[in-house]
Amino acid sequence: MAEELNSQNPINRRNLLRLSGYSLGGMLVSGSVLTLAESLAGKATEPLNQKVEELLLKPQTPVPEFPVSAIEPNALIINTYDFTPNINLNEFRLVVDGEVNNPLSLDLPTIQKMSKKSMVIRHVCVEGWAAIVQWGGVPLRELIQLAQPKPGVEYAYFISADRYYESWDLASCLHPQTVLAYEKNGAPLPLDNGAPLRLASPIKLGYKLSKWVVQVTLVSKLLPRRGFWEDQSYEWFAGL
Amino acid sequence: MNSTGSTQVAKLQDIKEKKPRSLQSFPAKVFHWLNIISLTVMLMSGLQIYNANPVFGGREGWHIPQFFLLGGWLAGGRHWHFAAMWVFLLNLVWYGIYVLVTQRWQHRFVGGNDLKALQIGKNPKRKIYAWHRIVYTSVIPILLLALFTGLGMYKPAQFPWIVECFGDWFALRVVHFASVPLVIGFAIAHSLLSLKVGGERLVNSMLWDEML
Repeated sequence: MAEELNSQNPINRRNLLRLSGYSLGGMLVSGSVLTLAESLAGKATEPLNQKVEELLLKPQTPVPEFPVSAIEPNALIINTYDFTPNINLNEFRLVVDGEVNNPLSLDLPTIQKMSKKSMVIRHVCVEGWAAIVQWGGVPLRELIQLAQPKPGVEYAYFISADRYYESWDLASCLHPQTVLAYEKNGAPLPLDNGAPLRLASPIKLGYKLSKWVVQVTLVSKLLPRRGFWEDQSYEWFAGL
Repeated sequence: MNSTGSTQVAKLQDIKEKKPRSLQSFPAKVFHWLNIISLTVMLMSGLQIYNANPVFGGREGWHIPQFFLLGGWLAGGRHWHFAAMWVFLLNLVWYGIYVLVTQRWQHRFVGGNDLKALQIGKNPKRKIYAWHRIVYTSVIPILLLALFTGLGMYKPAQFPWIVECFGDWFALRVVHFASVPLVIGFAIAHSLLSLKVGGERLVNSMLWDEML
């Protein structure tokens, strides 16, 4: 049959027509089929993508930083999923809890007296834009060490004052350049950028870098809800 | 009878029965099809990602019409893009090994003889064939550049030197986006040249012969 189809040119034209018919029909049903295929494509390859990302991540090696002169003060776009929360700084406490031996509840002066990491890094948004920014803050790993996680802890949840929520793998949390920042471009962190405390790191996409963080919860298992955008099918690992 | 002999007999029989044999090897056809499919998906999903924050003009910039997009929104576009990326990448890898092992790289791509035909040749048909070979050879570096710049944008913290190759982030985005007009321009030029060089028979040999 196949030989017959290929033996003469007009029949090949018919083949072409048949195929274009298929593709027209395909377009008509594409709405539902594409949605299905897309979730399949995403589900099928996300584990593979995540494996590669985990392999690429060097958990203890700092990403090269930029000189202060490279800062792009106007490039950082302010993105919020909903609203900018009101936070009473006098009552503000950062809670570190979950599967830890020493749960913490720290006020801002205490956090700012801890060791400080300042870095000029590239902040990369999932939308495709990027900005070189200076962040200053307490390395997250100092807080985690202070809280003494129990054996088996593998993830951290970050809860924000605007009810944004995120979850990270522990290795990325312990990276030397993952900080809870209270300083941006040499000045106190502006409210719109997540004051008083936000995540900053060169190894994760922007939607992983929660603003207005009030709670860090260390856990051994991920819950069904993994993050505001992830629960709407964004990639969870989102390593850079 | 050795295997070459039996192939020759098969060829002779084909000629007797007037059955046209495909001009292309089966692996070349598979490579060609997977390229068409994965590049179409990558182009359309890439434009979907582009629309989240257009390279030119940012959010106020010109957006690509819905018709050319795949994925519905940014997350869907990224799923398609990175899924098709694996097909595209692995396709290039095995094909690269294939052309090296079979030594097809020596005679199936543009060479000195094509340049000579263009410079001093008198045969207009040979000249068009030379252009055809130049054009389809040139897509290989275009595809490799798309992968290279894509890796730089996908993992800039692990490959900061890729970003540096292009100066800054914006330049990297522009070069990655340039894959779109380059690949579309290539597809048009390549189709027209194939038709001109070998007509329907050549086109069929790459697309349909022994495939349907």
